[in-house]
Amino acid sequence: MNYFINHVCHFFRFQIIIFITVFVLLIPVQVYAGTPIIHIEIRNHLFIPSEIIIPKETKVKLIIHNKDETDEEFESYELNREKVIVGQRKGVIFIGPLPSGVYPFFGEFFPKTAQGKVIVK
Amino acid sequence: MLLSSVIIVLREVLEAALLISILIALSKKTSLSAHWLIWSCLLGLSGAIVYGMNINNVSDWFDGVGQEVTNAFIQLLIYCMLVLYILILSRFLVHKNTFHFLTRLIMIIIVALAITREGTEIVLYFFSVTHSKTHLTAVVGMTIGASIGVSVGFLFYYLLNSLKLEQSIFIGLILLLLVSAGMVSQASLLLIQADWLPAQLPLWNSSAFISEKSVTGQLLYVLLGYESTPTALQVSLYVLAIIVPIGLMQVLNKVYPKKINLASL
Repeated sequence: MNYFINHVCHFFRFQIIIFITVFVLLIPVQVYAGTPIIHIEIRNHLFIPSEIIIPKETKVKLIIHNKDETDEEFESYELNREKVIVGQRKGVIFIGPLPSGVYPFFGEFFPKTAQGKVIVK
Repeated sequence: MLLSSVIIVLREVLEAALLISILIALSKKTSLSAHWLIWSCLLGLSGAIVYGMNINNVSDWFDGVGQEVTNAFIQLLIYCMLVLYILILSRFLVHKNTFHFLTRLIMIIIVALAITREGTEIVLYFFSVTHSKTHLTAVVGMTIGASIGVSVGFLFYYLLNSLKLEQSIFIGLILLLLVSAGMVSQASLLLIQADWLPAQLPLWNSSAFISEKSVTGQLLYVLLGYESTPTALQVSLYVLAIIVPIGLMQVLNKVYPKKINLASL
């Protein structure tokens, strides 16, 4: 048994180092009190409003209300987000914290009309 | 409409096709019959349809982040199964010993879950566009997208299959390690999106170098789980996801240097 544990410790030394690294990297995470909430509507395959402004380096809760009959997929490469918003329902997506800039998003199911952007400043 | 439907289906099919083609090639190389594939496809398709039909309820779970949590759970389950498969494969490399029942079961679970995960979005997209007037165009686009995805899968299969036994298993192992780490990275991203894991500022931004929108970016996403703006947490979990199976392989080889018969399991 001791032999086994020794081996495990020996072979997992890299893993143990990585575990410690993960925790060290987690320390600078700030605790955000009271996440701001922003509502977006999907209507006739359009995002309303199509432009939202959020503060930089702040986590924000987006609540997307899909008023269409059809489903839509909120998608953004810049925000690293992807989520199906079922027709006649709402969906929650957390974004940020982000450095200032413009982050486009679109509806993947109806990308011709469903376009919008998040402006971080 | 045509182009967007091609792209949406291609992206989903490509992810599953890559994983499936690696597994088929490896199962052929380790002389397993491909019957498992039929079961996993049937299970995966029914999974995708059931998930797609119940997306309403799933979305409402956990205060509106049920989709993220469910998808992350599926990705992590695929990762665990892939790690088991990688371990079995690494034993094969040492002892030429396949554990038929266990291997088939693991492959069925992996492929069924992958098809469920990627198929759900296609099912939902299909239901959404059939509401609109231009749905014939969309169906044509979806067929083209699926065909391209499957073709790329075939290409991968033939590439892996044309190699020598040891080479193909070695390359297959590396590809599976990368794909499985990509699964963990995607799962962590979903949990960050759901606010179950802490959100952080991105560690770097390589979008000017390789954009996620570009073809290269998309291929790297499918193959390595490439993100242009990952957070420190995501990168650490990615590295951890690669190191864990490698460590377990070493432990297995040291603790059981001799041939073992897992077929009895």
